[in-house]
Amino acid sequence: MQRQRSLLVLILVLVIAAITVIVRFPIALGLDLQGGSQLTIQVKPSEEVKQITERELEAVQTVIENRVNGLGVSEPVVQTVGQDQILVQLPGVSDPEQAERVLGGTAQLDFRRENFETAALLNVRQKELSQLLLKQQELEQKGDTTAIAANQEQLQAKEKQIAELAESLFEPTGLTGKNLRNADAIPTQIGNNWSVGIEFDPRGGELFAELTKELAGTGRRLGIFLDDELISAPSVSSEFRQTGITGGRAEITGTFTAQSANELALQLRGGALPVPVEIVENRTVGATLGRDSIQRSIYAGVGGLILVLIFMVLYYRLPGLIADLALVIYALLTWATFALLGVTLTLPGIAGFILSIGMAVDANVLIFERTREELQTGKSLYRSVESGFYRAFSSILDGNVTTVIACAALFWLGAGLVRGFALTLGLGVAVSMFTAITCSRTFMLLAISFPALRKPELFCPNLPVSKKAEGAL
Amino acid sequence: MKLSVNKQRSLWWAISAAIILSGLIAMAISWRQIGTPLRPSLDFVGGTRLQLERDCSKPGNCDQPINITAVRETLASQGLGSSSIQVVGQDQQGVSIRTKTLNVEERTKLQTALREKIGAFDPKSTQIDTVGPTIGRQLLNSGLIALIVSFAGIMIYLSLRFQFDYAVLAIVALFHDVLIAVGIFSILGLVQGVEVDSLFIVALLTITGFSVNDTVVIYDRIREVLKLNPNQPINSVVDDAVNQTLARSLNTTLTTLLTLFAIFLFGGETLKNFALALIVGFIAGAYSSIFVASTLLSWWRERTTNQSQPVSAIASDAIDTSTRSDDA
Repeated sequence: MQRQRSLLVLILVLVIAAITVIVRFPIALGLDLQGGSQLTIQVKPSEEVKQITERELEAVQTVIENRVNGLGVSEPVVQTVGQDQILVQLPGVSDPEQAERVLGGTAQLDFRRENFETAALLNVRQKELSQLLLKQQELEQKGDTTAIAANQEQLQAKEKQIAELAESLFEPTGLTGKNLRNADAIPTQIGNNWSVGIEFDPRGGELFAELTKELAGTGRRLGIFLDDELISAPSVSSEFRQTGITGGRAEITGTFTAQSANELALQLRGGALPVPVEIVENRTVGATLGRDSIQRSIYAGVGGLILVLIFMVLYYRLPGLIADLALVIYALLTWATFALLGVTLTLPGIAGFILSIGMAVDANVLIFERTREELQTGKSLYRSVESGFYRAFSSILDGNVTTVIACAALFWLGAGLVRGFALTLGLGVAVSMFTAITCSRTFMLLAISFPALRKPELFCPNLPVSKKAEGAL
Repeated sequence: MKLSVNKQRSLWWAISAAIILSGLIAMAISWRQIGTPLRPSLDFVGGTRLQLERDCSKPGNCDQPINITAVRETLASQGLGSSSIQVVGQDQQGVSIRTKTLNVEERTKLQTALREKIGAFDPKSTQIDTVGPTIGRQLLNSGLIALIVSFAGIMIYLSLRFQFDYAVLAIVALFHDVLIAVGIFSILGLVQGVEVDSLFIVALLTITGFSVNDTVVIYDRIREVLKLNPNQPINSVVDDAVNQTLARSLNTTLTTLLTLFAIFLFGGETLKNFALALIVGFIAGAYSSIFVASTLLSWWRERTTNQSQPVSAIASDAIDTSTRSDDA
């Protein structure tokens, strides 16, 4: 009886602790429940970096983290997955397209200088092109079909020349995103204008000074290329002709709005990616849909629990009621365990939890069936309950261990949502073994210590009359 | 009423065989039609699924149900004519589109085109799933490996706790349940277009755990009855054991099904097929442990004569001492 009492105290303490934990540590909801984007970013080897090592992955992660911070999402998660993937979670993101563009941009940032001769040549060719276009109009008015065709050919050749020239208009300088330290949108003093401030590392500062010294006042522009695409082409004013822009800092001015300045700064900041990346998975759930899922899960969970509770009382009578109590304690303890271990609850995770409620009853069912059998063979109530518990134990253990094996396999080998399910179901099974053996047993022995409850028919309906008398002893 | 499972064991086996066979036929047909035994969702083959819902807070936006022809035309104009389109939602105000993998530009272009044609969508109700083809293969592979590893783990555990032949037969029963679940989903894929996603593999693994659990309880009891009556014919031992555990098998399956039906009815789209797979698997699991696993064991023991009986008695003795010490 002493052992019973201390167990009862233990259970009470656990329940109070569980309720405190549940109230004080809310469970984190997965993105599928609160809405948001989950992106998997694949890091790819490039010509320069043939193999992705931990170092590259870390570097990419840092860049991605910077880009994520630039998005202004609250509580983002950036973590590496396996050898060459990065998982980004953006809860409640309002513009998934922007996020995807900013994060998935290959973003090989590259500063190039405009070639003066090419620029001049390009100018000439463009004039030639406009002359040809004029000629075309004249010819069309005259309706000379052969001349039109000939002129058309010349036009196409000219366009091709221009395209080729345009491609070689900017030449690489060796200054790349690797040398860039930071970029920020800065409001200018006058009006609503914004500009973009950039900052280089020492080597980048030197290169930049050289580059700007060369370009200052010549009318040639500095081409900033992201992924071979021109994102900005500022020119350098003549005041820097002597030394270039030194000190590793510069400001790109122009007609920027707050948003465009911000986006350019973000692109520049993210430009330090050492290797290309690609978004290979995107799962975005709208906030309303997430809320809807939570509500439906609560209905499913509560509905399932109530059905099980009713069934147990109807079928097993008093022991059923005790099992119900144990089941409610089970639900509380499991939920508290999730909160303590920092489990992020996802939709499959909730399914795992609901399912574990159904399965948690199994241990009780095994025990009560045994107890009934023992009663039917004419054993006393106390002995029936006792042997019901220890005889069912081996079955309970075997059954639960096999479920845990399946959960472990899922947890180690599965990914994302699948792991959530494995974890919640596995934890649920473990807690259910504890509650079935400890709680149900303690309550059961407590119940039969009251003479009013010590009636075999409360434990086993339809017990033959002849056995009743014996059982009551 | 006493159930004598061994008397009609060829009937039980025939029922199982018929269900499994029809599943296999469905898989063969499906293989010829789409190249896979089950209809895979984009989780496994990659692709983009866009679920959009009209913003009904705007006046006049939701007067009519979504016109599926207009959606199809818009998709065709973007070279996505082979996509599958489904109008969803209670008032037909939502549309679910499954296409090849789209990058962000292609997707934005599609969304803009759809908005122009159909009306404004509510970004809060939008769901986007894009899975690259390689990721899809990874998900499938890791799922299958998880399945194999857990089979092996369960087999080892059962061999340790019981005997090797018990373990083999439990695994046979397990394959039975998994095959039935897979077969029925193959049929559903053909008839209803039901797709299997990564949650389906999760469901199979859960069925595995549950099925073995159920079988183990009966085998446990067979071992116990055998120990008490070493000279009783195996058929009647198995019959007794099945009858003694029948109420438990049915009740456990029932309580689990109650929660699964709750998920199936209230759990929303994502979990519906998951719950259905579990319902099918668990029913198959209860059936197989009562009618298949038990009868297989008595059939096997009959064939291998009664040499194995003393061995099993030793095995259960070992368990018994452990429980006895627990009692003290």
